[in-house]
Amino acid sequence: MRVSLNWLKECVEFDLSPEELAERLNLTGTAVEGIEYLGKDLQKVVVGQIKKIKQHPNADYLKVCSVDIRDKELQIVCGAKNMKEGDKVPVALVGAKLPSGLEIKRAIIKGVASEGMMCSESELKIGEDASGLLILDESAEVGEDLAKVLGLEDAVLELEITPNRPDCLGVIGIAREVAAIVGSELKKPKIKLKEVDRSIHQATRVDVLDGDLCPRYAARIIDDITIAPSPLWMKRRLQAAGFRAINNVVDITNYVMLETGQPLHAFDFDRLNEGRIMVRTAHLGETIVTLDGVFRQLDETTLVIADAKEPIALAGVMGGAHSEVSEGTTTILLESANFNPRSIMRTSRKLGLITESSNRFEKGLDPNGPVYAADRAAQLMQELAGGKVFKGVIDVYPKPKRVLSLTLRPQRVNDILGTNLLPKQITQILESLELKVSQLPTRNSQLEVHVPTFRTDLEQEIDLIEEVARLYGYNRIQSTLPESGGKRGGLNLNQRISLCIKDILVSCGLWEVITFSFIGPQQFDKLMLPADSALREAITLRNPLSEEQSIMRTTLLPGLLEVLRYNAHRNRYNVQIFEVGHIFHSRPGEILPHEPVMVAAALTGSWRDNEWHERAKLLDFFDAKGIIETLFDQLGIEDWHLNRTIRPFFHPGRGSEVFIKGEMVGILGEIHPHVQEAFELPNPVTIFELEEAKLVKYASLLRHFEEIPKYPGVTLDIALVVDEVISNEEVYKIIHRWGGRLLGEIHLFDLYRGGQIPRGKKSLAYSLTFRADDRTLTEDEAKKALERIIARLKKELGARIRA
Amino acid sequence: MSIREELRCLAEEAQRAISQSSSLQELNEARVKFLGRKGQLTAILKSLGKLPLSERPTVGYLANEIRETLEESIVSREKELKKELLQKKLEAEKVDITLPGKRPCVGRKHLLTQVIEEIIRIFMGLGYSVVEGPEVELDYYNFEALNTPPDHPARSLQATLYVKTAHEPKSSREEVLLRTHTSPVQIRVMERMKPPLYVVSPGRTYRRDVADPTHSPMFHQVEGFAVDKRITFGDLKGTLEVFAREMFGKDRKVRLRPHFFPFTEPSAEVDVSCIVCDGRGCRICKYSGWLEILGAGMIDPNVFNVVGYDPEKVTGFAFGMGVERIAMLKYGVNDIRLFFENDLRFLGQF
Repeated sequence: MRVSLNWLKECVEFDLSPEELAERLNLTGTAVEGIEYLGKDLQKVVVGQIKKIKQHPNADYLKVCSVDIRDKELQIVCGAKNMKEGDKVPVALVGAKLPSGLEIKRAIIKGVASEGMMCSESELKIGEDASGLLILDESAEVGEDLAKVLGLEDAVLELEITPNRPDCLGVIGIAREVAAIVGSELKKPKIKLKEVDRSIHQATRVDVLDGDLCPRYAARIIDDITIAPSPLWMKRRLQAAGFRAINNVVDITNYVMLETGQPLHAFDFDRLNEGRIMVRTAHLGETIVTLDGVFRQLDETTLVIADAKEPIALAGVMGGAHSEVSEGTTTILLESANFNPRSIMRTSRKLGLITESSNRFEKGLDPNGPVYAADRAAQLMQELAGGKVFKGVIDVYPKPKRVLSLTLRPQRVNDILGTNLLPKQITQILESLELKVSQLPTRNSQLEVHVPTFRTDLEQEIDLIEEVARLYGYNRIQSTLPESGGKRGGLNLNQRISLCIKDILVSCGLWEVITFSFIGPQQFDKLMLPADSALREAITLRNPLSEEQSIMRTTLLPGLLEVLRYNAHRNRYNVQIFEVGHIFHSRPGEILPHEPVMVAAALTGSWRDNEWHERAKLLDFFDAKGIIETLFDQLGIEDWHLNRTIRPFFHPGRGSEVFIKGEMVGILGEIHPHVQEAFELPNPVTIFELEEAKLVKYASLLRHFEEIPKYPGVTLDIALVVDEVISNEEVYKIIHRWGGRLLGEIHLFDLYRGGQIPRGKKSLAYSLTFRADDRTLTEDEAKKALERIIARLKKELGARIRA
Repeated sequence: MSIREELRCLAEEAQRAISQSSSLQELNEARVKFLGRKGQLTAILKSLGKLPLSERPTVGYLANEIRETLEESIVSREKELKKELLQKKLEAEKVDITLPGKRPCVGRKHLLTQVIEEIIRIFMGLGYSVVEGPEVELDYYNFEALNTPPDHPARSLQATLYVKTAHEPKSSREEVLLRTHTSPVQIRVMERMKPPLYVVSPGRTYRRDVADPTHSPMFHQVEGFAVDKRITFGDLKGTLEVFAREMFGKDRKVRLRPHFFPFTEPSAEVDVSCIVCDGRGCRICKYSGWLEILGAGMIDPNVFNVVGYDPEKVTGFAFGMGVERIAMLKYGVNDIRLFFENDLRFLGQF
């Protein structure tokens, strides 16, 4: 909400600069988002008096004026027609910079020198009128700054009003806060109303058919109104608050709303069928054209204001076009009502129509506010629109809201805040907010607090404690730390392992990424998943922002591949990344899905580009496998292996499932060339995705020291030629089984095809280290062990030993 | 020429050859020439037998002396030559030290992870534990139990992402949604555990915001709360001051401004003095000198009632902070979308 300080000063006295006031408001809960200084851009605009008007010698439509600005007379060429000699007008002097950005310079206009510019309202951005010069009041002093003369030297505070404080949606409400802050008194405008003899009850009647949705409806009738523009001071205040001036009647309803927070509506009384008001829900099939010109279908949940025949307004939201105040309006029915917040919210949401009025009503307004606001508006209509106010107010208010009384324990205040406030101090603070406090005649010096009805947010003791805290000042409450000792924080084992996993992957050269948890179903197509794939069974959003963010991911792979694509489009082809995050699967019989954490990585391109010392090498399956090996090794995970698998998104010869102690924990493989293409990636990609909980289950951060070998070992190499179909693992297992106790490490150091190796065969070379832990092994002993291995390899695999 | 003279001449000649040899090969040739099996000194030694018996010992002694001297010379010349050789080799091995180094490949954790770990580290030091909660959540935990009224705008389809459920929810509390904050973890923990509780809870959160430089439909929060006997607003202040100074530097000033949240009362927004201008006022802090970093407050008694705690016996505070916002402030990141685009040129900076 935007509040003019000049306006505020009418309601409360304070001696603070705009910045100081903003600071005080900020620290008491009314956030100030900005301060706008008005009149700042009206420098070098002064009051001038037109002494002489002559016709321009070279242009029919221009006049040459001689204008007194106190210390001298200026010659100014002007195109306006509405001025006469003796008028006082705003004069922008040479050097002035108008709000539009126009800079005033000395000029020759059609051969005549002009030393400034006389301005209209709109040129000065202080009003809308662009039809001619702004003619100032005769009392304006010649030569004075215009901003000063017009009271434009003002500051506007932009306030953020929290939803629990609808009472602050008006100048009076803010003034009440200011009064409490600075310790002065709220001065609500006094109503001075002269009613005519004719009674409103003779002129109209109001029937409220739904008292729940409309707890109160007050109305006044004012006739003999002359519709005209509002006076400048009112226009300026409306403008400062961000409103457009329309005409005196509409402006007054807005003005009083800004002042009191209570929305008002003025109906053209002569347009009402039978001149009466009914507050009811709409009938099915009823329609209305609202003030914004939109034709709207209504239903039975919508509360409307109707005349004897049809809806004339959407209650609390927007008036109807038919009964709108117009040029010819002479009599108005002024509505000042209270509506059920939820009903207003529903209507406003359903129609997609948020107005100043609906926005206030939906926060819950004080039902005891409408009559004051109606009287205030009636007074202004009498003063500014020549209206005659009928005697009396129609006020349908069957169940008046009573003042709430709460008990407050001063000790509780101090217990919650950590303060040592005396009951007297607490009382003083609450009373400054117009709460009435009395001592209860009980032992605990409890206080009884009467909450005025405009403070809809104060319902419990704790609400009062908050009032005490914010007005006492959060900054005055002493900082402490919780007194209870012996707290023990930290991470549990699972959390530590989880942290460990990220650390290891990072040390393996992978970069962590974070991608959105929602993806689009088309990602599954890109992964070539068949229609019945379990991965497609995703949690679906009801109101997604877009198709691309419409389902919860069931795998991290699309997110990672999208990151590769994003970077490839920016010419980064060497990308090695991982993500740790939740995937989502629905669970039968459960409302909430299963959210396992997955650890996934994707590697493409090479670790580095060509270097002066090394050529780039494309990463492959084994680079990813190596990372898994390192990860498992560091996590103390043993007894794991890979099983070949076929997945739609894997290269058919390069996909695998990862097993630990016989349990499947994830997948590892190179993605299918089609998938690679679908993600627009130039190089092959290897990925893995593992379930974190299963890694945690088998991980062990405990380590047990193993004796370092005391005696040197003997290392022997063998190279064998086997059929292509024989796997490393098969060879490895035989070596391991037949190596006996003496065999230590087995290291594959060469894999070779071609050359002298026949087609369909490959050569594998291992170096084997034999070692005894009680003596230095002789070469003969090692050779004997090797002979045994060789014999088995020959027998079981048909291996040929290369010389 | 007597045999002695002959020996002396030979010794001189050999000594010259040794000292003049300019390579190990030349030195070896000299050795072979004089001391080898068919060498000249060896020949003389072999011919000693032809000398008269009386001369043999002295000549033999002299010959052996010469031989030893020559052998020593050879060894020392060999050392010299090897040293020279090494020197030449090392000279030739000089490198251009301005060539780029060979870097090991290491990755890094995402900036948001770094920030979350930093926040958690600070609170672990204050005795907090870490508990996480589900990202797909019930309305009950996300809103209702947190004292959020049924018509609260945050509950609307425009503000919150809802999940399609197999069955029509019987009431709004059974609606399933993507949690809009980490606060539901408060309820889940309090339902399950008894005070004293000192907990932080990091995680992903979601809102139906179209992505722009300051909004993202997914972001991260860290929730924290303490429930114990005699927890006060002063404790909340003290705790957040410790946090802010650890996180943003020890000279930071901290202020709490009253605010409104449905599930805390009194509530506060917490500012630190601007880390860019140190409170003097700049573009980043919108010339206020302060940066808002989190929301906090005393846990509302209604929330305690929901989980079956007696608000007369325990009190507590809670706070929640946006990780992206803190990262953006601390590292000067100017667009929240950068966190989720995962451009390596971005990731590589932190």
